[in-house]
Amino acid sequence: MAYDKIRDPRRIMHVEGDMEVDYIYTAGIAGERFFVALRDKEKLVATHCDKCNHTFMPPRMYCDRCFAELSNWIELPPTGAIASYTITHEDNNGERLPEPIVLAFIEIEKTDGALIHQIGEVKPGALKIGMRVQAVFKKKSERTGALTDIRYFKPA
Amino acid sequence: MNVKRRVAVVGAGITLFRRRLKETGKELSYLAANAALESAGMTMDDIDCVVMGTAPDAFDGIHMKADNLLDGAGATRKPYSRVYVGGGTGVFSPIGGWWHVASGLFDTCLVVAEEKMSPCIPHPQTAFRTIWDPIITRPLNPNLVWIFALEMNRYMKTYNIPKEHIAMVAVKNKGNALDHPSAQLAAKITVEDVLNSETMVWPVQRLDISPPSDGAAALVLTSEDVARKFTDAPVWIDGVGWSLDSAYWTNRDLCFPQYVAEAAKMAYKMAKITDPPKEVDFAEPYDPFTYKELHHMEGLLLAKKGEAPQLTADGVTQRDGDLPICPSGGLLGVGNPIAAAGLMKCCEMFWQLRNEAGKRQVSGAETGVAQAWGDLMQVGTVTVFRR
Ligand SMILES: [Zn+2]
Repeated sequence: MAYDKIRDPRRIMHVEGDMEVDYIYTAGIAGERFFVALRDKEKLVATHCDKCNHTFMPPRMYCDRCFAELSNWIELPPTGAIASYTITHEDNNGERLPEPIVLAFIEIEKTDGALIHQIGEVKPGALKIGMRVQAVFKKKSERTGALTDIRYFKPA
Repeated sequence: MNVKRRVAVVGAGITLFRRRLKETGKELSYLAANAALESAGMTMDDIDCVVMGTAPDAFDGIHMKADNLLDGAGATRKPYSRVYVGGGTGVFSPIGGWWHVASGLFDTCLVVAEEKMSPCIPHPQTAFRTIWDPIITRPLNPNLVWIFALEMNRYMKTYNIPKEHIAMVAVKNKGNALDHPSAQLAAKITVEDVLNSETMVWPVQRLDISPPSDGAAALVLTSEDVARKFTDAPVWIDGVGWSLDSAYWTNRDLCFPQYVAEAAKMAYKMAKITDPPKEVDFAEPYDPFTYKELHHMEGLLLAKKGEAPQLTADGVTQRDGDLPICPSGGLLGVGNPIAAAGLMKCCEMFWQLRNEAGKRQVSGAETGVAQAWGDLMQVGTVTVFRR
C-alpha cells in the first residue's frame, strides 16, 4: 500500500527514532601542521614530492602518485587565483539567503592544489575567473585552528 | 567450485593499535599499505587494483568513508572497491582481494583494512545503537554487550562451562600480545584478575572484552606467476568462505555459530581439508570477547561443541600447545580496530607461515585459519592460508 497522499507520517503505524552520534576528529599528521601554521602564522603549509615534482595543497603526509612518505613541508602566503566560482542564493534547507554567498575554487600559488572558500569584499558582478585573491583572517584570539580561521578570500 | 588460479600473499603490514592515534584514517591506511608494499618488495606501480575493508561508517564518523580513505590506500586512479560485512570485514577483505586475482582479472591486489573508532564520542558503542531494527528491537534501547551476555550465559549453561575456563582466554591472549609490537592491551594477568574485574553486563566482565582502537593493516595479493618473481616464500590463500545467518538475532542458535561453520566448511572444501583439527596447525578465530574465541573454535570445527573451554584449560591452545589459538594475542591483546583487527589475523598467518613471527612463532606451522564475525552478529568469514 502506498502512502503518497499522507503528508504527516505519524498518521501511519510507526516508531520514532534518531541516529545521533557525536564525533571529535583528529586533524592528523598533515592536518595538524596545516592548521597550526594557519592559526599561528597566517601561512598555508603544503607538502612537496621531490620524485613527482608535485606540491600537495592541502598537504598530505604521503604522495598518492608514487606513495612516498613526504617530509618536504613548505610554508606559503595565503594567496591564490579563482579557478571557478558560484553564487549561492539559498541555504541548505532551500531558504532564501539575505545576501548571496560567493564560493570559489581557489588555486593556491606555488602548489598543484586548491582550497574551497568564500569570497568577500567584491560585488558578484565584478568576479572573474583568474582573479587573484588573498585570505582575510579572523582576529588571532578567535582562531581555533580550522579552515574557518580564514573568514574569506578577497581580491589581492 | 571453479577457482581459475591460485592466489598468493607476498606482503603484510600493520600500524600500531591504540585507543586513540593522531593519524587520520587516510594516514593510518597509508602507513599499513606502505609497510605491506615494502614487505613485498613492491611499489605502487606493481599494484593493479585495491580492495578496502572498513566497518561501519559511524565509527570514523565519515559517511561513505571508503571514498575518504581511497588515496591513503594507494587507490587513486586505480580500480578500487570496498567490501563490507560489519565486524566480519577484516577477514572478508582478503577474500575480496582474492576474487579480484583468482578470477584472472588482475595479477596484483593491495588489500587495506582501516578503522578509526576514537572520533566517536562518548564511546564507539554509541554508534551501535543505530544498527538494530527500528521497529522491533531499538525501542528497548539495547547495546551490543547485551547480546553477547545472553549468548555467553546460554553457552555456559548448556555445556556447564566454568567461568574460570573462559577467563583463561583473556590470560592467554593478553599474554601472547606481549610479543606483538602493535599491541594495545598486552598484559600478564591471572584468571583471578579476570574474575575480579568490573562486571559490565553479567556474565561479561571488563577483562572479557576487547577495547575500541584505531589502526590499519594491509596485505599484498598476487597471482602465482607474479608471486614467484617477488618471493621464494609465498603464502597461499587456499580456502575462502563466508556465510550470513538470519538477521533476527532472536531466531539464531545462541550456543553454536552455524554461520561460522557454513563459512568454514566452504573454505575447508576449497582447501581440501577434511579433518580440521588434524590438518589445521594454528588458528586466529575472532576474539572480541573471551567466550567468542571458544564459540568460534567450535564454529570452525576445530573443537567439538562445548569442548573448546576444556581444550583451553588443558593448555592445548597455548602458543606451544597442539593447536595454538590466537598466537598474535588476538583482539583481546593486540586491540580491536574492527576491520583492521580481522586483517591483523591474516597478517599474523602470513608472518607465522613465513617463519617471520619472531617471539610469537609457532613451530612447524604449515596451515592456518583466520575467522571474523560481525554484521548483525550473524556473519562468518574464513580464510585458510598455507605455506
Ligand atoms: Zn610522488
